[in-house]
Amino acid sequence: MAALSRTSAENLQIQAQLDRQAARKQAIGRVVPYLGLVFLFVFFTIVTGGLFISPKNLSNMVEQCFTMCIIATGAAFVYAQGNMDFSIGSACGVAQMCGAILLLHKGWPMPLAMLVTILIPVVTCCVVSTIAVVFHVPVFIGSMCVRSLLAGLLTIGVAKQEIVVPVSNWPIMTNGVFKAIVQVAVIAIGVYLFHFTRIGKWAKAIGGNRNTAKQAGIKIVQQQFLAYVLLGLCVGIAGVFQLFRNSTVSMGSGSGIEFNIMLAVVLGGFPMSGGDKATLPAAVIGAITATLLTNGLSMWGLEPSLVNGVKGLIFVIMIGLSYDRSAGKLVT
Amino acid sequence: MERELILAAHKVCKAFGPTRALIDVDVEVRKGEIRGLIGENGSGKSTFCSIVAGALEKDSGELELHGQKYEPKSMVDAQNHGVAMIVQEAATFPRLDVASNIFAGRLEQYTKGGFLDWKSIYDEADRILADIGVPEIKGRMNIEQLNFEDRKIVEIARAMVCKPEILIIDETTTALATKGRKLIYALIERMQQENKAVLFISHDLDELMERCNTITVLRDGLIIDTLDRENMSIEKMRSLMIGRELQGDYYRPDFDGSHGEEVLLKAEHVTLRPYFKNVDVTLHRGEILGFGGLSNCGMHELGRLLFGLEKTLTGSVTLYKDGKEISISSPDTAVDNGMAYVSKDRDKESIVLQASIKNNIVMPAMRQLTGALGFVSPKKEKTLSDTQIKVMSIKCRNGNQLVKELSGGNKQKVVFSKWLGTDSDVFILDCPTRGIDVGVKADMYKLIMELKRQGKGIIMISEELLELIGMSDRMLIFKDGKLAKEFQRSADLKENDIIEYII
Repeated sequence: MAALSRTSAENLQIQAQLDRQAARKQAIGRVVPYLGLVFLFVFFTIVTGGLFISPKNLSNMVEQCFTMCIIATGAAFVYAQGNMDFSIGSACGVAQMCGAILLLHKGWPMPLAMLVTILIPVVTCCVVSTIAVVFHVPVFIGSMCVRSLLAGLLTIGVAKQEIVVPVSNWPIMTNGVFKAIVQVAVIAIGVYLFHFTRIGKWAKAIGGNRNTAKQAGIKIVQQQFLAYVLLGLCVGIAGVFQLFRNSTVSMGSGSGIEFNIMLAVVLGGFPMSGGDKATLPAAVIGAITATLLTNGLSMWGLEPSLVNGVKGLIFVIMIGLSYDRSAGKLVT
Repeated sequence: MERELILAAHKVCKAFGPTRALIDVDVEVRKGEIRGLIGENGSGKSTFCSIVAGALEKDSGELELHGQKYEPKSMVDAQNHGVAMIVQEAATFPRLDVASNIFAGRLEQYTKGGFLDWKSIYDEADRILADIGVPEIKGRMNIEQLNFEDRKIVEIARAMVCKPEILIIDETTTALATKGRKLIYALIERMQQENKAVLFISHDLDELMERCNTITVLRDGLIIDTLDRENMSIEKMRSLMIGRELQGDYYRPDFDGSHGEEVLLKAEHVTLRPYFKNVDVTLHRGEILGFGGLSNCGMHELGRLLFGLEKTLTGSVTLYKDGKEISISSPDTAVDNGMAYVSKDRDKESIVLQASIKNNIVMPAMRQLTGALGFVSPKKEKTLSDTQIKVMSIKCRNGNQLVKELSGGNKQKVVFSKWLGTDSDVFILDCPTRGIDVGVKADMYKLIMELKRQGKGIIMISEELLELIGMSDRMLIFKDGKLAKEFQRSADLKENDIIEYII
């Protein structure tokens, strides 16, 4: 055997160093989303002169987080498969509108009306998935079509006047404890499904490599529908509580949710292309960060239009830093 | 007398994350040298060549070309320095014509008054193609008209455009049939006569023995030895590559082609356009059934169809399990009923590269791992994955390591592991040893024999006749989508007996 120019002890040392570097890189990747969260919190507290952590704003943020965290839980399944959905904001708005109409004008009992509110996004999400499956187009395209359709419906429905719901008739729906229970339950069920059943494991497999997933006997179409149903359910639940919190349905109801969720996914360190690195807590952490960002920027005095611009900029930067481009290389 | 140095590498190092691909590699290549590079997958030979050809950057160390410091910035830069590489994977640009493929990145050399001078581009392309011995390929042809082999030849032409001083051939011949191989051998000879140098990577040791005048062996990123003509022998190369003597027989030693009577899988009159028509296949318990033929004979697609990945136009595929007859029309019914499939395109179809070894192994075994309320116990997952890693001796840090960091042979072991974890009865293996090295190959053959002993049915699809002769109980030879001939296992069966039915 040829003589080695370095001793094996030195080589072992180099190997150990490389292993440490890799481990460190992995650890940093895991910690960054949490650090980002803390950083934003401290940053906004300072630049708003403490206004950011005033009790009123904190309770505001808790409400905003509620919606985002619930939807992010459902979205985790769809994004883990490498899919996305741009129609959920409009779906949430239309669901609220229908629920409110049934409640006020048709005199349906509250639970029944709210069941419809929950089911409407489930149906629209299934439509998105169906378009993708039947026409063999990316889900992105299907969701854009459905989004336009739903936005149109919402405009027609609330064109004449906003729908106002007398919230005080149903105090339970704005009760903090009840909402906390719902929040915890949704996330807990989400974590269970995502990390301890094959639903989440298969979702990650599909996002990782569709061919491999298919050849491992996973029914891809079925799993895709399942993920969209879960997303629809979460959008519906969030919609119900948003309706009672805002007490009105207007053209702006639900708008922006789809983008905020996408931002949340990226901020939480959840890979946009799905796959093995996806975790449910990442989606939830991202949802909280995205909420903090939205709230903080407007507390800071930024105009709403500028807030969106800044969020877009942050989104691009995060994508640039995190998107896995290694697959496209000629020589790896 | 020693010839003049053309390329010298000194202490070249390269790491991919925690994986050290090259460790202090010293190589000297002289004029007129045909240098073979061998080593198992992941030993660093392709990494070294990629660095020399400008596709990768080294971490440390020195490269010298003609005694000058040499640090190629890109593959085009390397070409301008006279170093060209032909890679293993297909690297032509689809939908363009042949000439555009040949002059990719250097078309602007042929401008006239601000426009591309297509006439001289096509003329020059035709000249180069004729020069390397394929006058039948023309610069005006669309690349889509050419078959896989001819596309590879276009890549060779691209490498020869700049008249390289050093030509690097990275496992190109594996993908080529006789025509392409002859062409490459002729080029190698010409390079030698012109006192230039060739770096030649191949898994085919016979080919290397025949063509090279020096062979360098790499293992785990280290140069193990460099052999000159007098010291070359296949046995020596093999044991240097894997770092131990190969024990026992490479293929199975017996010529007993017997198997159980029970039918496990039966395909009747299956058709898949345009690949094959009206084919029958019967697989028995404890049988290794080989499918052989050229790559486009339809056998790969037949394998996919048997697993439900393709739908048959006529007839049916039936699996016999516990006295029941199950019609196979989708991969999920196949997997649910104990079928396993290893694709020939490992990285694209058989594994999730960005996922951990554990998550790859447990993927098809989910049904067995799921308990009450759909609960999948992380402990059970870990046990299954750790057992498989141990049984298959997969070389890795632990089950959480990403599959993309493994060598080709170890990746293939992961693919086998995931199916062994499901307790399947029928295995369809499409090119199970493609692109993996001798050490792992021998392990795979042992494993296939073990499966036979356990009474599994195995369909082995391969383009390597020796492997089929060495392993199968029965062999179906396909040609142009039809069954051309059936052979039984026999000690007298030779490669030449089969070739006439293939071509």
